[in-house]
Amino acid sequence: MIGESRRAPGGGRMSVGQIERELGKLRTNDDGTLALRSSVLNLIVVTDEESAPEITDSVSKLAGRHPARAVLLISDPEGETNVDVGLSAFCHARGGSGTQVCAEQVTIHAEGPPAMHLESFAGPLLIPDLPVFLWYPGEFSPRSLEFAAMADLADRIIVDSAASESHEACLREIATLVEDPEMPAIGDLQWVGLSPWRSLLADTFGAPERAGDLEKFESAEVLYAPGGENRALLLVGWLASTLGWKPERASRNGEGQKIEFSGTSGDISVVLSPDSPDARLRRIRLYSEEYSFQVSRHRELSDVRTTVMRGDELIAERTVHLGAFDLGVLVGEELRYRGRDETYEGSLRAAVEILDL
Amino acid sequence: MADTQSLQNILRDEQRLPRVPEPGVVVIFGASGDLTARKLVPALYDLAAQRRLPLEFAVVGISRTEMSNEEFRGKLRRALEEHRSGEVSGDVWESFAGGIFYLPGDSKKAETYKGLKELLKRLDSERGTQGNRAFYLSSSPSLFPAIVENLGEAGLSEGEDGGWSRLVVEKPFGRDLESAQELNAELQRYFDETQIYRIDHYLGKETVQNILALRFANGIFEPVWNQHYVDHVQITVAEDIGVGTRGAFYEEAGALRDIVQNHVMQVLCLTAMEPPVAFDAESVREEKVKVLRAVRPIPEGEVEDYAVRGQYERGWVFGEEVPGYREEENVDPESVTETYVALKVFIDNYRWARVPFYIRAGKRLPKKATEVAIQFHASPHTPFARDDTKGLAPNVLVVRVQPEEGLSLKIGAKVPGTGFEVSSVNMDLLYGTAFLEEAPDAYQRLLLDLMLGDPTLFIRADEAEGSWKILDPVMRHWSQKPEVSFYQAGTWGPEEADDLLERDGREWRRP
Ligand SMILES: NC(=O)c1ccc[n+]([C@@H]2O[C@H](COP(=O)([O-])OP(=O)(O)OC[C@H]3O[C@@H](n4cnc5c(N)ncnc54)[C@H](OP(=O)(O)O)[C@@H]3O)[C@@H](O)[C@H]2O)c1
Repeated sequence: MIGESRRAPGGGRMSVGQIERELGKLRTNDDGTLALRSSVLNLIVVTDEESAPEITDSVSKLAGRHPARAVLLISDPEGETNVDVGLSAFCHARGGSGTQVCAEQVTIHAEGPPAMHLESFAGPLLIPDLPVFLWYPGEFSPRSLEFAAMADLADRIIVDSAASESHEACLREIATLVEDPEMPAIGDLQWVGLSPWRSLLADTFGAPERAGDLEKFESAEVLYAPGGENRALLLVGWLASTLGWKPERASRNGEGQKIEFSGTSGDISVVLSPDSPDARLRRIRLYSEEYSFQVSRHRELSDVRTTVMRGDELIAERTVHLGAFDLGVLVGEELRYRGRDETYEGSLRAAVEILDL
Repeated sequence: MADTQSLQNILRDEQRLPRVPEPGVVVIFGASGDLTARKLVPALYDLAAQRRLPLEFAVVGISRTEMSNEEFRGKLRRALEEHRSGEVSGDVWESFAGGIFYLPGDSKKAETYKGLKELLKRLDSERGTQGNRAFYLSSSPSLFPAIVENLGEAGLSEGEDGGWSRLVVEKPFGRDLESAQELNAELQRYFDETQIYRIDHYLGKETVQNILALRFANGIFEPVWNQHYVDHVQITVAEDIGVGTRGAFYEEAGALRDIVQNHVMQVLCLTAMEPPVAFDAESVREEKVKVLRAVRPIPEGEVEDYAVRGQYERGWVFGEEVPGYREEENVDPESVTETYVALKVFIDNYRWARVPFYIRAGKRLPKKATEVAIQFHASPHTPFARDDTKGLAPNVLVVRVQPEEGLSLKIGAKVPGTGFEVSSVNMDLLYGTAFLEEAPDAYQRLLLDLMLGDPTLFIRADEAEGSWKILDPVMRHWSQKPEVSFYQAGTWGPEEADDLLERDGREWRRP
């Protein structure tokens, strides 16, 4: 999509009225006509100094697909008291008439005590009547008062359980949030990244004669990259919660881990092993007595190959696009979804049970 | 069986992930033709690459041209690269093409179907397609009866081993009421109506579906969507292109058959129908048929008061000089085929009593535009009019389908100043802009619905017939009186079309 980024001069502290006025001016085209504002949601993003450039970039790319009022909060509680406001709009021409349509972005850089009250900036800048998504691309502290105040504004919170120093602790924290009835719905980018994998695995059981094997798995192997631990855990958690596997034992297995489950018709052992760093998930294999099912990602391309084997015999095979996985795409997927994702919540609970072994 | 059925769905997360059809085969009759290469196979490829098709899937192409599987695959791959903008990934194509098969044969001959049946059986066992098949008739309509009869006689109108069998029919659905009824009877001799999917690709367009979303997902429009508030409705389907290389085809068809009978009538139905109880095939199609049934028949002797035909002459479209219709390739230099149609119809039901629907469709008009304009009654009394002008312009709500999907509402607003002068302002909402996702191609959407077994966006037999019934008196009158009015390419149609509205004290909008 061809678009144009417009930036307002200014900076420093501004009032809500000033901000709205300046955003209005940003939408004025060179020829004096007013571009339309189009928005389907509010997106609040909380980040730090260091990640700000990358996140700003993703947010403006998102504006193309999910036009939003974006409020980007760069927080630095350690610094001297200071507030700096930046305004920009991402505008592009639509259709034949060349009418411009803009999505707006307010960036607020808060240092010192104001950084502890980000909700006081975000609240007044939200567009009424539209849902509010709150996105923490990096570390977040779910127990803090600041987090609770921000969560109060939101209809849905998006986090990334892989962005934290300790992926285990983070997964547990999220699980606690999910159980909290006061909290809005929560989504994890590590879970969204599993969508194509889940869909491809489900496809391998489209033939009724193989559906019965869903009850008869004996073992599974998951290959993931460093940093992909949570994605792999959620995948196994998903299998466990949908197929009714109960986690029993965990043990070290080389670099990786072996987890044993009891299922409705026997035990299942799952081996999780780290692999090359180029893809968060590399491969999953499921074995039943008769068949093996595999979904495996291409080394360089974003293609993924599915195979179903009976012994050495290839029963079905297919290569498709796995799709893009950059930050924008993952967040975009989350923005499409409004309610609570019960499948995710079940998988998360199962993943935590595995961690508890 | 029920047990495995429920098992099979365990890993499917239909709340969050797109639905994927059951295993199956799409059989295309007319496989060496234009539609297959340009639309059908690219749409199937995209669906497959985006993980929307089942793992066990195959395509079988049939036409007379001798080709091997490999040659057929090669031809399709070249066409894909030509007709589709995105990149084609080698591995993905190879994997998709591995499921494409070609069967040379004459679709009029029974032995072709013997071969087909064997091939389908083989695919069921080798590719796990589970006895499910969709037969896509993408060849000349004159072959439809033969294909259907042969499929039926070969026992292919039922799926294998409890699988399904579906039949897809491309337009035209006949040339008039009689031939449409004949065609439907032929199809229904071997296939049940629930197995028949008549394609009008217009219904596959997001923007057309949005007419329903707009009307029925928004409480504020429905209360005024009736004769109490609406003065009249204008439906425009305008193209700026001419007939191009399709002259021979168009000579047989004309605008009434090519556009009005299907696309325009569909837009009319979506605009005028009552809210369906549910968004499912029978509820939606039932309401559409009710509209068609309520359309007041045009009296045979008064066709000229209700219908206008026109043909474009040489002229200028957006800075380019273009030939007249009679100068186009494969067109009779004395042709009276209409390239423009304007109609006035009434829908005799409670909602639309006395509200005229003015409809126009044509080629070589100034621009490409599809829209529905609802013109409301003027304000009954205006306290502001200080002079003896006609007062305020009435409100007009325009639902734009193409090119820029959106809504615009003409409202009166005060002109700033000390007086109380009121003037019309256009309030534009491009709701298309709110979701910038690329809308899937209409064929992708429809092929997926076909595989999923959802006929909501396909035409039912009585819809096709109902639409022909409305147009029959017009076609009869025109064929008895072979003459046509002319309009210059790049203008909004012949003068008679303007007269049609002027007689009622109204005028066409400029889209
Ligand atoms: N093209 C479009 O954009 C478009 C749009 C809307 C609807 N449609 C409809 O779609 C259908 C196909 O259109 P098209 O443009 O693809 O037509 P086309 O290019 O003329 O293709 C006709 C196909 O039918 C095959 N055929 C003809 N006689 C046959 C026979 N006796 N046995 C087996 N195969 C036979 C031809 O192949 P051989 O000569 O090799 O047998 C060819 O593959 C028509 O009903 C048309 O009205 C087309």
